[in-house]
Amino acid sequence: MDTLLLLALNGLIWGLIIALIALGLSIIFGLLDIINIAHGDFFMVGTVLAWFCLETTGNYWVGFIVVPLIGFILGALIQRVVIQPIRGVAALSIVATFGLSLILQESVRITFGPTPRRILPPIHGTIPLFGIEYDIYRIFAAGLSIAALAAFFLFLQYTKLGTWMRAVRHDRETAIAMGIPAQRIFILTFAIGFALAAFGGVVAAPITTVDFRGGVDLLPFCFMAVIIGGLGNLPGTAAAAILLALLEGIIQSFADPTIARISSLVLMSAVLMFRPQGLFKGYAK
Amino acid sequence: MTRRIAIERSLMIVFAALLLAVPWIVPALTNKFWVSVITEILIWSLFAASINLLFGYVGLLSFGQALYFGFGMYGVGIGIDHLGLSFWPAFGMGIMAAMAMALLSGIFAVRLTWHYFAIITVVFSLIFYFIAVRLKPLTGGDDGINFSLPPTFSFNGTQWSLTNQTFQYLFILAVVSFCFYLMHLVIRSPLGKAFMAIRDNDIRASLIGLNVYRLRLVAFVMAGFLAGVSGALFAFFGRYASASYMFYHVSGEGVVWAIVGGAGTLLGPIVGTSLFIVIREVVSTHWEHHSLIVGVMAILVVILAPKGLIGLWREWFAHFEVRDSEVPAQTKLPTELMSEP
Repeated sequence: MDTLLLLALNGLIWGLIIALIALGLSIIFGLLDIINIAHGDFFMVGTVLAWFCLETTGNYWVGFIVVPLIGFILGALIQRVVIQPIRGVAALSIVATFGLSLILQESVRITFGPTPRRILPPIHGTIPLFGIEYDIYRIFAAGLSIAALAAFFLFLQYTKLGTWMRAVRHDRETAIAMGIPAQRIFILTFAIGFALAAFGGVVAAPITTVDFRGGVDLLPFCFMAVIIGGLGNLPGTAAAAILLALLEGIIQSFADPTIARISSLVLMSAVLMFRPQGLFKGYAK
Repeated sequence: MTRRIAIERSLMIVFAALLLAVPWIVPALTNKFWVSVITEILIWSLFAASINLLFGYVGLLSFGQALYFGFGMYGVGIGIDHLGLSFWPAFGMGIMAAMAMALLSGIFAVRLTWHYFAIITVVFSLIFYFIAVRLKPLTGGDDGINFSLPPTFSFNGTQWSLTNQTFQYLFILAVVSFCFYLMHLVIRSPLGKAFMAIRDNDIRASLIGLNVYRLRLVAFVMAGFLAGVSGALFAFFGRYASASYMFYHVSGEGVVWAIVGGAGTLLGPIVGTSLFIVIREVVSTHWEHHSLIVGVMAILVVILAPKGLIGLWREWFAHFEVRDSEVPAQTKLPTELMSEP
């Protein structure tokens, strides 16, 4: 029972972090028609930047602010240099972002090195939670992820730029005709996508390992969340990420991680076959 | 137009002659090592061709062809290592396993199109990747299974086996050429035209009476055949089979090779595959971080030649021939303008 609870909690918190990454993937896909194979690597870059930040400043907290900022700038640059010239042709976007993924992984391997490292969490200790001693940093990570998710949805709903982003996603031609600078919105969207994934990286770095291949396993999982939640349904994507990770956590308490992964993949196939619009009803376009 | 075709024909003849002569020319010029690189290029070209058949001719972007490659590989590996089959039955088992798997997953996958198709194919391949990793006694997991090659032909005591590098090269060249010839026949047949009709507009295709679902399934199984043959050949070539070749990165590389070479052209996958494998082999001997160059190349080709290298070549010729042709194409425009009141 205790292991079940522990793994379920771990899954839940991992799901919150995945939700951050999957949201970025979903808005990039929804707005730019880009299938971003490099998105898992954006997360990986976040974990590595967090490590560098800790090495240079000796303070992990700086990373929570600096890393998403660097991610934002990198995202804007990448959109301008790589993504914009291919003009939303999905097949080409797969090749270009595959190339991008190789470049990011290899650059990290050159600078950071090929060996995985661990980062100690900035807060140590455990707190009693539902009768088990639970790692306090994970609780904190969950809080940060929820805050970032909330901030993102508030931004999308209540700011001018957020409204523009929704407008461009809803109907690009009309949005351009109304004078919305679509090109800048594309850059902004990609930059936010990178920043969210990088933020997920800083939050997750002390929980997982920092490794130049850290994004490879994550990517299919994020795509699953986007599909199961429904393409274009952002709250659905976040909910699907949390549900999937929770489900994998629960299955892991009685079977090994591979079986857990296989079951979520089978669930995903079923969703694709029978509810391609996503699990959640009334999907928002 | 005609000049381009003439040049392409002669290039093809030279290319075919060179390919046949590889086992004798290459060791004389450089190193025996390059014979095996070219063998590998042939095998992977066939893999890229299977992606090209689906994407370039039917308009379905599969991101899970590594699954059928892996089944071809394991059909051979398990056939030889666990069942003690000889060469040809193992080869057949690899191809049949890949085609059966393609039929089974195709029944579900081709109901979906575009993004959903790309994602369901990668999901299927991931499911079987994890199953293969887990079934270690049967598959050897990521470490794979090694086996020793049975002879390919044996007549009255003389044996021909792939352990002879020249025979191995010629055997693989023959199989790969045969598969490309089959694909050429399919593309030129009414079936191929039906594929292209679906690629260009599936609704119109269904309105003129084509059974879109069944045709997509046929194409999917054919692509499974090509991927299965390449996987089986790769198992013979490497003398092992491993689950790591079923991971989605392998599929991704195949997609990149096919699109960079030129999707929707018969020989595009060969061009793309050769380019990337040659770069990998040349650079990796000097510099450990060759994937950096591969990444930059992929991005550059997509930006500068969105129709692939073959597309670039054709556009270049089209440009060149318009300039040379006697009939100016734009004479109509001024008369039309003048006739305006």
